[in-house]
Amino acid sequence: MKWITARRRHPLAGYVVVIIALAFFGVGYTFVAPATSPAQAQNASAESDLANVDLANGRELFNQSCASCHGQDGKGITKTEAGNAGAWGPDLTGVGAAAVDFQVSTGRMPSANPDAQMPRKPAMYGRDDINDIAAYVDAQFGGGPGIPVNVPGDKPKRADFESEADYEEATELYQSSLEQYTGGGDTEAGMKLYMTNCAHCHSWSGGGGALTDGRWAPDLNSATPRQIYEAMLTGPGAMPVFQDSNDEVGGEGGAISSSEKQSLIKFIVDLENEPNAGGYFGLNRVGQVAEGFIGWTVGISLIVACAIWITAKQRAHD
Amino acid sequence: MSDNQAPQAPKAMRGVGNFIDDRFHLAKMGEKNLRKVFPNHWSFMLGEIALYSFIILLLSGVFLTLWFNPSMGHIVYDGSYERLRGVGMSEAYASTLHITFDVRGGLLMRQIHHWAALIFVASLVIHMLRVFFTGAFRKPREINWLIGVAIFTLAIVEGLFGYSLPDDLPSGMGLRIFQGVLLALPLIGTYASFYLFGGEFPGEVIIPRLYSLHILVIPAILLALIAAHFMILWHQKHTQYPGTGRTEKKVVGTPMFPAFAIKAGGFFFFTFAVIVGLSAFVQINPIHLFGPFTPTSITAGLQPDWYMGFLEGSLRIFPNWFDITIAGYAIPMGVLIPGLGFMGILFGGLAAWPFVEAWITGDKRPHNLADRPRNAPVRTGLGAAGITFYGLLWLAGSNDILSHTFEISLYTTTWIFRIGIFVGPVIAYIITKRICLGMQRRDRETLEHGYESGTIAQLPGGEFVEVHKESSPETVHVLESKESMTPRIETPAANANGVESPASRSLMGKLRARLADWYTRDNISFVGVEPHSGHHLHHGSHNGDGPTHGVQGSENGHGGSTASDKVTQGAGQNK
Repeated sequence: MKWITARRRHPLAGYVVVIIALAFFGVGYTFVAPATSPAQAQNASAESDLANVDLANGRELFNQSCASCHGQDGKGITKTEAGNAGAWGPDLTGVGAAAVDFQVSTGRMPSANPDAQMPRKPAMYGRDDINDIAAYVDAQFGGGPGIPVNVPGDKPKRADFESEADYEEATELYQSSLEQYTGGGDTEAGMKLYMTNCAHCHSWSGGGGALTDGRWAPDLNSATPRQIYEAMLTGPGAMPVFQDSNDEVGGEGGAISSSEKQSLIKFIVDLENEPNAGGYFGLNRVGQVAEGFIGWTVGISLIVACAIWITAKQRAHD
Repeated sequence: MSDNQAPQAPKAMRGVGNFIDDRFHLAKMGEKNLRKVFPNHWSFMLGEIALYSFIILLLSGVFLTLWFNPSMGHIVYDGSYERLRGVGMSEAYASTLHITFDVRGGLLMRQIHHWAALIFVASLVIHMLRVFFTGAFRKPREINWLIGVAIFTLAIVEGLFGYSLPDDLPSGMGLRIFQGVLLALPLIGTYASFYLFGGEFPGEVIIPRLYSLHILVIPAILLALIAAHFMILWHQKHTQYPGTGRTEKKVVGTPMFPAFAIKAGGFFFFTFAVIVGLSAFVQINPIHLFGPFTPTSITAGLQPDWYMGFLEGSLRIFPNWFDITIAGYAIPMGVLIPGLGFMGILFGGLAAWPFVEAWITGDKRPHNLADRPRNAPVRTGLGAAGITFYGLLWLAGSNDILSHTFEISLYTTTWIFRIGIFVGPVIAYIITKRICLGMQRRDRETLEHGYESGTIAQLPGGEFVEVHKESSPETVHVLESKESMTPRIETPAANANGVESPASRSLMGKLRARLADWYTRDNISFVGVEPHSGHHLHHGSHNGDGPTHGVQGSENGHGGSTASDKVTQGAGQNK
């Protein structure tokens, strides 16, 4: 206590108390705050054959998790029909397997709150189940773009494998398919396509950005190449559709051909993997706002602290 | 300290010294200037940060010019940065990549140049705020204030041009906005844009043109202005805070040589260390990640450097409600007012303030003692309002990042800022002024009654009181220095016969009288306050007299401290 008594009238004592209090509440909050729900168990192996889909399982899962908002018939439920239940969802006619795979594999569906934009979450279903639901929706409600199986999809997860060796083998397979896929594209074409079509929402770094009406463009760096491809095919949320040029659906076709999409995805993946040459702290690639913030909080503050230090004199005792 | 007692210099040095002195008579000038005294306070070092970062900018900039190729000629990249190999780009961008990846130390130098630029403008801002809040812009220093405003303005322009040179993605986007504001000018907009860009945007000439402005014209003007700033400072002497022995005519501080020179030299190296430290560890403007600019490129999440942020913000939040069309020609007020008007308000307001304040207060006396900000509550409040206005515009410039990071709707941020820039400055003014007045009351209390010692004593009657002790003479000096702020408008409102003078009857005269009243009305009067005359000191009772309101706390009278033995007095005589 003597130690405190001697220092409690120190000019910095007030600041110290505030900092300790802030730290106390900050750390305390992390214990009290509800933890995010853990990821659902994944029961899938790496890649399954789309030919082996189980439509009955797909129907069961659809009725379990999707039908409450999208309707048993997949025609959707409007907000007025849903009423107070709040469970409404769009018509699934003709959305196709790619849309289902995108929404479910990124964890956006099933969604707890249809009124808000869905954030990326750990997927609720494994690869086999997703394939089953996708096949069911595609078959039942009118076909749309299929899952682009030649584009590298989910990265293998350790939990899905019995042995370390199997996991390593799958990872190797995934890496080689990713390298093969991104090795083929053309950087310049990809960059031009990205800067013309994607960057004004997803930002130059792929980190995402704010959109109008409270929506936002998500971070691309957590998406797999296949999910990026599917998003272009199906245009989820506020995103426009960029069909493959050989698509018959929609008639117009040819917005971005599949080889151009490959270049585009190569650009995104390469940029993400590019090290921050400028230093250990990449500032999360936020750019000038973060730089200005650091310039003031670290740069100028340190220099001013030094100015205070070198001009300090002994304090008068009052 | 007489020269006679100093040990003799070695003969060889004496020979050289005498040779030079015989020709240039440096000894006398040197003695006078080396002994010049500088007041000692951390806030007087802020301008030096700007000087040092400017020197770092010059040196690192020269290094970069050795490799940078300011050309918009189109080439296909074939350097050592693999990801962009085979990509078409301008020679300016390719040479910046070359500096980054192929020149030894090039990336570090680029980052030093960029960090130093951010620090340079930031230090100009805090230096200017110090001068503003202490009233150091008052007579006789108005000209130096104007030079400072010019340096600040030019530094921002210089930064914008430098940002545009590498021809990477943010460069081109910044230039596009610059061109947009240019186009918004009525009548001459299109011509000005075509003239500057040599045709349609982006053309092939803008980078060479900005380059010669950036490395030659503007730095030369800046250097000249900084030299003038220093010479005037040297001639007029630095302002100082009130304290023992410090008067309008006498400066107390550290002599130039050796003490201040060592301090300043050390401070240079510290500034340099912070800038290099940032440059070594924190990535800035990663042009290789941004990629080259093409006229079709547009991206979210890119901002100008921080000092352009307030303009970016004003463009972002200004509505298009006032756009008009005259005879088929659009006048885009939504670009003109925020793009040029807000800049005019900032720089025009800064330049005009010393003269406006002198006009309001009628104060024509020279001031070499700095105001303590609390003793000029209206000015301090206005400064806080200005900071709030600027700060909100600055934040609005990053509204997309704020919206994305803190998950607030973008439209909501726009409305927060639109309302905030009107409400925020008013609140800041009121709060700051109240705080200043509270501190004045506390000062008067301390002056009259001494300081709270923290010792509790029991009186014979059983009452407990806190013993107040006498403040140090230095503190008393500081507190007593507050001048009573009465308006000093020299034209009397009425002459001896009760007839209003023409000057005060006019519209301007009435306005001025009102402003003067507003400027001084609420100030706490120290008239008639005798140090340590309050009776707390003598019998330590709190019953009754004396203002007991005001901020209570353990903060000591800051700025007040005893002169330590390294402080030399004298030397500064003001003519």
